[in-house]
Amino acid sequence: MALLENNKMIFLAENAVKAALKRGAHEAEAYVYEGQATNVGIELGQISKTSRIIDRGLGIRAVFSKATGFAYTNITDDSQTVEKVAEKALNSARASKPDPEWRELPQKKEYSSTKRTFDQRIVDLNSEDIVGIASTMLDAAGGVDKRVFPIDGGVGCGYISNAIANSNGVSGFDKGTIVECSIAALGKEGRSVTPVCFEFNVSREYNLDPEWVGREAAKLAVSAIKPKSIETRSAKVIFTQFALQELLGYTLVNAIKVDSVQRDQSPFKGKIGEKVASENLSIYDDGLFDGGLRTSILDGEGVPHQKTVVIEKGVLNNFLYDSYSAKKEGKESTGNASRAGYLSTPNIDTTNFHIIPGNKTSDEMLREVDDGFIVYYLQGAHSSNPVSGEFSVVATPAWRIERGEITYCSRGVMLAGNVFELLKNISIVGCNERQMGSLIAPWIMAENVRVIGK
Amino acid sequence: MFKSHCDPTFSRTFTLKDLLTKINNIATQQFQAQYSEARAQKLTKTMLNLKEKRVEAARQGIENGIAIRVLVNGAWGFASVGSVDMPILKTAVSDACKMAKLASARLKAPIKLASSKVIQDRVVAKPQKNPSEISIEEKIKTALTISKSSLGFDKRVKSCGIDYMDLTGNSYFMNSEGTCIEQDKLYVWARITASARSNNIFTFSREEIGSTFGYEIFDEYAPEDLGKKVAQRAIQQLAAKSPKGGKFPVVIGSNVVGVFVHEAFGHLAEADLALSGGLLTSNMNKKLGSDLITFYDDGTIDGSFGAFKYDDEGVASSKTLLIKDGVVTGLMHNRETAQKFNTEPTGNARAEDFRVEPIIRMRCTYMAPRDRTFEELFEGVKFGYYFKSYRGGQASLDGTFQVGIQEGYEIVNGEIGAPVRNASISGNTLETLHKVDAVGKDFALDPGRCGKGQIAFICDGGPHIRLSEVVVGGIA
Repeated sequence: MALLENNKMIFLAENAVKAALKRGAHEAEAYVYEGQATNVGIELGQISKTSRIIDRGLGIRAVFSKATGFAYTNITDDSQTVEKVAEKALNSARASKPDPEWRELPQKKEYSSTKRTFDQRIVDLNSEDIVGIASTMLDAAGGVDKRVFPIDGGVGCGYISNAIANSNGVSGFDKGTIVECSIAALGKEGRSVTPVCFEFNVSREYNLDPEWVGREAAKLAVSAIKPKSIETRSAKVIFTQFALQELLGYTLVNAIKVDSVQRDQSPFKGKIGEKVASENLSIYDDGLFDGGLRTSILDGEGVPHQKTVVIEKGVLNNFLYDSYSAKKEGKESTGNASRAGYLSTPNIDTTNFHIIPGNKTSDEMLREVDDGFIVYYLQGAHSSNPVSGEFSVVATPAWRIERGEITYCSRGVMLAGNVFELLKNISIVGCNERQMGSLIAPWIMAENVRVIGK
Repeated sequence: MFKSHCDPTFSRTFTLKDLLTKINNIATQQFQAQYSEARAQKLTKTMLNLKEKRVEAARQGIENGIAIRVLVNGAWGFASVGSVDMPILKTAVSDACKMAKLASARLKAPIKLASSKVIQDRVVAKPQKNPSEISIEEKIKTALTISKSSLGFDKRVKSCGIDYMDLTGNSYFMNSEGTCIEQDKLYVWARITASARSNNIFTFSREEIGSTFGYEIFDEYAPEDLGKKVAQRAIQQLAAKSPKGGKFPVVIGSNVVGVFVHEAFGHLAEADLALSGGLLTSNMNKKLGSDLITFYDDGTIDGSFGAFKYDDEGVASSKTLLIKDGVVTGLMHNRETAQKFNTEPTGNARAEDFRVEPIIRMRCTYMAPRDRTFEELFEGVKFGYYFKSYRGGQASLDGTFQVGIQEGYEIVNGEIGAPVRNASISGNTLETLHKVDAVGKDFALDPGRCGKGQIAFICDGGPHIRLSEVVVGGIA
């Protein structure tokens, strides 16, 4: 299946909008998605799997008397099916009760430009190149220590494009590329097996360092081989990006989405302008961040992406809005309508959730800790209470820091507390920023974290 | 269903069976694939998301596509396209074969497949109430009833969210060995969440139902009762206290046993993960737990959310014994791992849809009941906890697990006491399996969805059991 040009994508979207309007929709929107992903997979230490997935589809949102319906299909080249999908979207709307708070689909606005989100070299990568990257990574991991076993991982490259059109004249298109490589390794000595240690590289442009990825994952696995147990205490804890993504993803991210606020499910309700975190913490949601993994000119309903200040020096500044939730409050969308492909309607989500870096390097941060821990991977964060922020998670594993140095690892250590209290106890924000999914963040150190040992 | 003439997508030049045969022939004849399989699916879905009394958007979907998987020189090639056009499929199968061949160059241990019975069958779903024949109005009405009952339960209930999904369709499987299976797919699922607030205390509650029978599940679980149950739990937690952190004797309900069996043990018993350095490969036929524990993964419980007749490699589903009286007896296999372990495939290879390849997944995973009454489990516990319902669970390959609790109580002198909130249990799976010192005679299963890169519909459960001690997390 050849990739579709932007005019063809926009044509499909506009055509679907027309089909819905013709059938009686008062307003209509169509979203067209195309993605192509090529992957090489590592299993049991060898490259044994390859795949190519091509997925294209469209979703139609139809509005009838202030009620919204949605239907989708992946059969885009058949006009009868598109008509049928428009009909289903409209039927869904007709079956739903009108929503008195519905205003309208977004109006047309100018898009800003983005940088470093598309790289033709990624589209042109052939299978040999991809197998080569995987081999390099695998060899690097295997070369670190005999006790390390790379078990899982791979290399993937992808192309994604979206087009959106609506009956208010919105008509937009964006395309981008992404390439990533990752490896999961564990250390084994005798009968003792470490937790899985994971590293990766991901980028919108073709600049991976597979050797670094292999080496780092292996080093972590080696450092986890001889665990010791620890006593329960309150301590300084450095959270790496892996841990932050888990911990904040189920709590803080939920609290700043305005739909949670409007539904009385956010502890930040009514707290704009108030101090909600340590003054060391500033967070922007930046959909235009150069080379950001979620960077695009437009959001899932065709609203331009922007930079939104969420927390500035600890003070809550703004929530994240899509067009519906914004119009409810007489405001403008912040461009945070997100889509999980063509199968879903837009939902409020972060774009690039950017924790603004401070000025301490990772070594400097470690040196600040006389007696504490550093955590990479957490388990169980999804069972945190999303409303109150209470959490109780297992570090898999936690590494002990003594007098500024990482000395040993400890398994089965639990961390418990409240994320929103933890935000107030952040003493250092590092400068070692990296991207992981929606998160762009450095390491963060918090004081007085409850660490439960055995 | 696929051959219907009014369906423009599947009636072009070939019937679907011809098309899949052609794909397999291209792979084996033109590219010397040792093995080739092709899956075609046509699925329709309805999804609803309600927040309070507002339907966010009733969603309906039509999708179809083809997945091709080939084994060339011992390496896998996979391709998926949302198209039934022969030229596109030809490119896809040739890409899959070429990529597999390239990857095979560095293989130290080429992949082989355990043999599997050649099957020709047609599996028909027989719902009393077929969700595809129920109007979207009716589905919205059901969801609204749940929501009203939840919000109306107490004025401290601040929100109620309902996610509903049904999926119906047809799945066609053919491989180069002659297996040819046409199987109906039917799933109905709903998740209800509620939150409550009083002063500065927020609480949260969740309930999930699911079936492969049909929409009649709402006759078994009346919408009013579902809403009430979720609301009641959220309200009850408002008055709950935080548990003490530390080791305590704990009684856990079927729902928590299920997630423990699934997360803490089940994933370790998936043969692909066991091979990836999990704990079980070196522990087969060894005693890893109390005499009281027997675990199954069972794909044959009719109507359960994890049930199906054939998996996505065309292997018949089965009732697989994982642990018998504390001894590890079996793992869950696909054809590739079964060959590595020199055993039979168990029918655990599942693909979420045609976009992805089949991987080893659980079906209905549970602990078998024994002989204790509910009261007996609490006898002699001076202080401990009763954890009735879970919020979420997770485990890693080294055997560390964590299960968050959404409904829990203290046990004081053998009696159920005050409610506790935001508790969790954690520990090492193998150590914990030895701590099971009493197993109840009750039994219940709960539906769920499990993520392993792809989503699978599963079930888990068991009886109530007692653990002599386990680490309880809390903030006291």
